Amino acid sequence: MTDSFHRWNGTDSYIADDALAAAVNVATALQRPLLVKGEPGTGKTLLAHAIAEGLGMELFTWHVKSTTRAQDGCWVYDAVARLQDSRFGDRDVRDVSQYIELGPLGRAFSSDQRAVLLIDEIDKADIEFPNDLLHELDAMRFVITETGEEVKAKHRPVVIITSNAEKELPDAFLRRCVFHYIDFPDEDRLAQICRVHHPEVDDKLLAAALRRFMALRSVKHLRKKPTTSELVDWISGLRLAGIDPEKLQTTLPFAGVLLKDESDAQKAAKAGAADGSGGESGGGSGSASGGGWRGWR
Amino acid sequence: MFAGFHTMLRSAGLQVGLTEWLALVEALDAGIVEPSLRSFYDVSRSLVCRDEGDYDRFDQAFVAYFEGADLPPGLKDKLKAWLSKPIERPALSEEELAKLQELDLDALRKLFEERLAEQTERHDGGDKWIGTGGKSPFGQGGQHPTGMRVGEGAKGRGSAVAAARARRFRNYRSDRVLDTRAISVAIRRLRRLERKSRRIELDVDETVRKTARSDDLVIVERPERRNQARVVLMMDSGGSMEPHTRLVEQFFSALKNGGGLREVETYYFHNCVYNKVFSDMERFVGKDVDDICRSVPPNTHLFMVGDAWMGPYELLAPYGSLEMVTSDKTPGIDRLLQLAKAFPKSVWINPIPENYWHAETIAQTREVMDMVPMTVEGIVEAVSALLGRGPKRDHREPVPMWTRDGVH
Repeated sequence: MTDSFHRWNGTDSYIADDALAAAVNVATALQRPLLVKGEPGTGKTLLAHAIAEGLGMELFTWHVKSTTRAQDGCWVYDAVARLQDSRFGDRDVRDVSQYIELGPLGRAFSSDQRAVLLIDEIDKADIEFPNDLLHELDAMRFVITETGEEVKAKHRPVVIITSNAEKELPDAFLRRCVFHYIDFPDEDRLAQICRVHHPEVDDKLLAAALRRFMALRSVKHLRKKPTTSELVDWISGLRLAGIDPEKLQTTLPFAGVLLKDESDAQKAAKAGAADGSGGESGGGSGSASGGGWRGWR
Repeated sequence: MFAGFHTMLRSAGLQVGLTEWLALVEALDAGIVEPSLRSFYDVSRSLVCRDEGDYDRFDQAFVAYFEGADLPPGLKDKLKAWLSKPIERPALSEEELAKLQELDLDALRKLFEERLAEQTERHDGGDKWIGTGGKSPFGQGGQHPTGMRVGEGAKGRGSAVAAARARRFRNYRSDRVLDTRAISVAIRRLRRLERKSRRIELDVDETVRKTARSDDLVIVERPERRNQARVVLMMDSGGSMEPHTRLVEQFFSALKNGGGLREVETYYFHNCVYNKVFSDMERFVGKDVDDICRSVPPNTHLFMVGDAWMGPYELLAPYGSLEMVTSDKTPGIDRLLQLAKAFPKSVWINPIPENYWHAETIAQTREVMDMVPMTVEGIVEAVSALLGRGPKRDHREPVPMWTRDGVH
C-alpha cells in the first residue's frame, strides 16, 4: 500500500520545518488530503509546488473562486458550443464527449503517473463546497453524467488543500484530512527564507530589515500584519534602491510594500514613535523622538 | 499501545474517533514516524487536530502524557546540584526590584536556554547565572519578579515535551467561541427559493421541447431561482452591549455573508426600541418604526439582537429613552409589541447567558418576543421556531409574572 512512499523534506527553494514535513509525509503515505492553513504569505500555495518538485510529480492546480462548483473540478460540459455546432458547426454533435473537458481533479485522476493536486483556497467557495467534494476525494472516481463514462484515478493523487480560514470547513470534511497549520516563521527561519530568495543579500541589510519587520509585526491590532512574501519583496526593493542598512534604523523606505492599510500605517507610526527607533534590542539610535518614522510622515 | 494517550486526548476535548486513531496506527505501521518523540508529536498532531484551535489542547494532553519522557540524560542531576541547599537571599529595595524588569515568558525561556548552554558550575547570589538566592531571573529562592523557577528539571530545546509545553498556540483557542459556519448553515434554512429574480437563465428542458415541436430553434428563458428570504436585523448598540461586540460582529457577518439571504436590513437602537431606529447611530440617520411596521414584505424575519438589560423605566415609561432623538410618548415595551405584531416571524437573540434572564427587563421583553441565547444552539433553535418547526421553547415558567394594562 505504501510502496510509493517517498519521504519529503522540503526543497532547495522551499524550507519546511519538521512538523510540516511530517504532515506531508503522513498525507502521502496514508493517501489522505493534506489541509494547510496559515496566515497569508506563509507559503501555503508554494508548498504544493515544492511537494511536486520534491517528489518529481506533475502538479494540477485548481484555484477555487466564489462561484466554483464541485463538479467544475471534475469536468465541464460545454453545452453552448454544442448548441452552436448543431446549427453552424461541422463537428459531429452526436458525440457528446467532444464537449466534455476534464477539470483539474479529472486530469489528476487520469494522469498516468501519481500527481499532486492543489485545491487552492477552498474556503473561497460556497460553504457546502467541501462536502460536495467528499465523495470524489474519498472514492477517487466520478461519473460524467453526460456520457456515463467513469473517470477513476489510476494513482491516487497527493491532494493538497489550502484555506485562509475565511469560512469554517465542515466537520465531515476535516475528519478525512491531515491537518497542518503553518505557523509564522521565527526570525532565524525568516532569515533563512530571505537568503533562499536573495542569496547575495548583505548581512547587515538583512539583519536590519528583519529587525524592523519583526518590530512591525509586533505592533498590536494591525488589520493585516506584513507577511513573509512582502518581506521578500521589500528586501528586493531595498537592494535595488541600494538603501544603507544604517538608515533603516530611523526610516522605513517603501513602507507601502509592508503595510497596505492606511490605519495600520498610522498604528505602526504611533507604536514606532512610542519606543523610539522601533527596534527592541541592539544599538538603537534613540536620538530622534518621533521623527524616526519619516518614511510615511 | 498508547491507549492512555488516546484517553488523554479525548479528555482534553479533542474529537479523536476510531478513524483518527486507526490512521495514527497506520502511520506508525507505514514507518513515517522516526524513532523520536518529536516525530511522534508531529505525526500524531497532524492526524488528531482539525484546526489550529486544537493545537493547544493537543499540546496539553501531550505534556500530560509524556511529561518526563524525554529529559536529556544528566541534565536533571546537573541542575539539581546547582540548586540544592539554597543560600539565604539578600533583601532588595523596591527600587532594585523594579529594576529587574519583567521579562515575558518567551524571552525568559530563550535566555534560560542560552545561560544553560554557557554555564558549567554552581553559582549563588549573583544576578546572571542559574543559581540560588540571586537576582537572576533563573533559579530557586531568587528575587526576580517574573523569573523562572528551575526546580525538578527543565527541558532542553527541541524536545517534544518542551515544544508542547511552550503552548505557542494558546492564542488560537479563543477564536472559536462562536462557530460562524454553523450559524450560516442554520440561517440558510430560512431560504425560500422562488423564480422571482431579474436575472434570466436558459430553460434547457423547455427549449428542447419547444424546439422539437417547431422547425427552428426556440429559446425559452426564465427567471433564476433566488432566495426570497429577507431579514430585518435590529441591534442594540448600547453601552452594556460592549462586552459582546465580538460575538455580535460574528453573528452579523455570518448572517450577512453566509446566509445567502436576499436582503439584510440593519438598524441600531440604544437599549430599547422607540419611535426610530438608526442605520447610522452616530449621526442618527434612520427610519421611523411606524414606517417599518407599515410595509413588511413577505418572507421577512425580524432578528432583534440585544441584552434587554436596562432601567425599568426605559422599557415601561412614556418618554423612557435616554436619547433626545428618540424621545417617544409610547413606552419601549409597546414598541416591541408593535414590532412583534408587524413581523409574525420574529425572535430576540440575547448574548447574556440564560441564567441571568430572570432580570426584570429581560423577563418583560420575553413576554413580548421569543428569546434565544446567542449561541449556535440558540440560533439553530430560533431558525426552527421561525420556520414553525420543532417545539417552541417554553421558558416562561420561572419568570415572575408581569402584567400591565394594554399589553395583554
